[in-house]
Amino acid sequence: MEEIKNKLDKILLKATKPARYIGGEIGSVVKDRDKVDVRFAFCFPDTYDVGMSHLGMKILYGLKNQVPNWWCERVFMPEMDFEKLMRENDIPLYGLESLDPIKDFDFIGFTLQYELSYNNVLQMLDLAGLPVLARERTSLTPLVVGGGPCVCNPEPMSDFFDLFILGEGEEVNLELLRLYEKMKPENPTKEEFLREAAKIEGIYVPSFYDVDYNDDGTVKSITPNVPEAPARIRKRIIADFDKVYYPDSFVVPFSEIVHDRSVVEVLRGCIRGCRFCQAGFIYRPFREKNIDTIKNETKSLCEQTGYEEVSLSSLSTSDHTKINELLLSLSEYTDGENVNLSLPSLRLDSFNEELLERIQAVRKSGLTFAPEAGTQRLRDVINKNITEDEIMSTCKLAFEWGYTTVKLYFMMGQPTETDDDIRGIAELSDRILQLYYDTTKEKRGRSIQIAVSTATFVPKPFTPFEFEPQATEEEIHHKQDVLKSAVRSRKIRLSLHYSNTSVLEAVLARGDRRVGKAIYAAWKKGCYMDSWDEHFQYDKWLEAFEETGIDTTFYANRTRSYDEVAPWSHLDYLVSHEFLVRENKKAHLAQTTRNCKEGCSGCGIKPECGGVYCGGKKTST
Amino acid sequence: MAEKRLQPKNVDLRPDKYDRRIVYEKCGRAKYISHLDLMRAMQRAIKRSKLPIWYTQGFNPHIYLMFPLTLSLGFESKVEVMDISLLEDMDNDEVVRALDAQMPEGMRIVSCNAPVHSHTEITYAEYRVSISTDKTARETETLFRDFLAKEKIEIEKRSKKKTVNIVDIRPSINVTDIITEGENLKLTMVLPAGGNFNLNASVVIETFLGMYGLSADKLCIERTKILLENGEDFC
Repeated sequence: MEEIKNKLDKILLKATKPARYIGGEIGSVVKDRDKVDVRFAFCFPDTYDVGMSHLGMKILYGLKNQVPNWWCERVFMPEMDFEKLMRENDIPLYGLESLDPIKDFDFIGFTLQYELSYNNVLQMLDLAGLPVLARERTSLTPLVVGGGPCVCNPEPMSDFFDLFILGEGEEVNLELLRLYEKMKPENPTKEEFLREAAKIEGIYVPSFYDVDYNDDGTVKSITPNVPEAPARIRKRIIADFDKVYYPDSFVVPFSEIVHDRSVVEVLRGCIRGCRFCQAGFIYRPFREKNIDTIKNETKSLCEQTGYEEVSLSSLSTSDHTKINELLLSLSEYTDGENVNLSLPSLRLDSFNEELLERIQAVRKSGLTFAPEAGTQRLRDVINKNITEDEIMSTCKLAFEWGYTTVKLYFMMGQPTETDDDIRGIAELSDRILQLYYDTTKEKRGRSIQIAVSTATFVPKPFTPFEFEPQATEEEIHHKQDVLKSAVRSRKIRLSLHYSNTSVLEAVLARGDRRVGKAIYAAWKKGCYMDSWDEHFQYDKWLEAFEETGIDTTFYANRTRSYDEVAPWSHLDYLVSHEFLVRENKKAHLAQTTRNCKEGCSGCGIKPECGGVYCGGKKTST
Repeated sequence: MAEKRLQPKNVDLRPDKYDRRIVYEKCGRAKYISHLDLMRAMQRAIKRSKLPIWYTQGFNPHIYLMFPLTLSLGFESKVEVMDISLLEDMDNDEVVRALDAQMPEGMRIVSCNAPVHSHTEITYAEYRVSISTDKTARETETLFRDFLAKEKIEIEKRSKKKTVNIVDIRPSINVTDIITEGENLKLTMVLPAGGNFNLNASVVIETFLGMYGLSADKLCIERTKILLENGEDFC
């Protein structure tokens, strides 16, 4: 540690925002390295500013550090300027708490939150001084493990990891580390340990499975090659969500991060089932915390961190069964403490006056809605169950309250989309604008700005659209032209971003193991930090795909049949294949599916998973 | 509704406030905390300490904090000053204890008192510099003495209007001590500080290094005093 610290003292002032690289923040856990038995490097494969905002890391960091003889540390991808300084001064990637090199740790864990961070995993392993390929890391430690939403199809990354942790981590992480702690004194080989680990539900060891392919390039079969490996690996789920571990303190950074505030998770899963949304399916079933639990966690976090803002985290906060009571109860506390209560993920159709007032009491911000599609027909296709009336009544209320900015998010390239649907985006924006002018001058704000953003739809595994082709670059450009010529008012600001990153995202999201060769080749060519526009090198990626024989259109733009073996078909995310097929068919008929609250649609989740609407246990206050 | 919208949040707060001047240390790992980050860190520390802190009045109430003199990123100091206001006339030692318990590694609360001087009275600050270059300490010392013997030391200084002025900083540099210790040259100097004219110690050192083509292997700068015009300590 001293060695790295001395080296850091010589280079830190040459880096931008050096406080990110030296640790020492309030809330960071420092232990005596001689008294710990298991050391875990929790790596977020992106910069400190992004990674420190991630809630999952805060939860698992606190969870592991609760065990006295385990020590979990934080590790992030350094910005390129600092990475260069590290390499020039022979500083390997280190943990922020101990400043020890992570190559000497027992575990190196990565959270895979988005596909474009994959190459940072390789870059961080390399910066740590480790071979990036799992088969070249022959000793037991460090074990390189991965979790997060992207491991619902980890196949493209399977060459680089020893094992993946599927689903929610609060229990399985403890089981895995306990197993390691127990076996460590016996000095097992890596394979001996992995065989035992594979017996834990939710642990997927990719090297224990063989993948065969058909002549047309699709997957033929995925079969276990050791007796310990189950044919299907089921994701883990916390059935009693109200009682799940939640940290009572966060590491409070010095430098400003993306989400610099206390965060309390109020519910997990989503009742909606928007057909494009991966989170809406892989985090099922819908579970929530009781108001008292949420209130206690809020109070404890605000006191421990000193943050002046607390935000409620969920996929759709307003779906909490007691949302009004919750907000009333929370704002009693936050108002008294001069803490701002912020509520992202509020759904348009559940927005009511009382909710609006609640936010108003804290801070007037702009309204952000995601209708996702411009016409009712297309909204029905994607099962975004909002009607135009609901959008209008919410905006009317908002304008009467003096709101002056409305942000609208749409996706382009969704299944069955026509030019009329695209023009519908402009027409909807126009009608919202007109609504502002129809609001009496005494009530409405002084000006209006409607910001319309579009993103390219990327089909994801474990959604009803996993079978769908992604729109090609030409198609998207055409759609953008249609939209541009349909928008006339200067009050409507379009940001039509198209990036080739969505092609890469599509290939990585639904790729199989062969795509790993392209990832490796692209990394060798210097591709990483791909989610940062200034660092993304699409030409290098195309070279890598070319050289490794990967046809991007095969992965991104092909319609997949319902009976094709998906590269992720050995992973069980509890939502049934039959349900996804049924939903896909309904999408093509523009038929919506009711949400869980309105009635069960038979997605395949069993009641014992603890879902509020799954006929199992009901939560009560 | 419109009326409600225009209502500031904490108009009912008591106007009585008790001003306090806090002296704190910022050393070790904490020297990498930038000034902007420091303000946030202090606000959060105060919030954690549960001191009866005074909030600004208005639509967006926030904890009132005043730093009369910024400390450059990378500098250490044991004499930093921050002004706060309390709602109660609390015992100063208690304030020190409560705040000190919330300081991150490298920071410490030294004292708390009612302010005596206005921050506009700050005129100078004293710095201790320890530097090792690619030359020996003796050679560096000789060069530094040569530097001080210059009649004029002109640097470019950007004004607020973004024009570049040439300023002679030689009259502003008052070096009170020069010694060599091992590989390091150690300097003590007093430079103008505060709102009227501020000369950053690192500007002096960089100008020196640049003039003789030296590169610094190690550079530590510590602010050791904040001074009034008559040479007395600010607090």
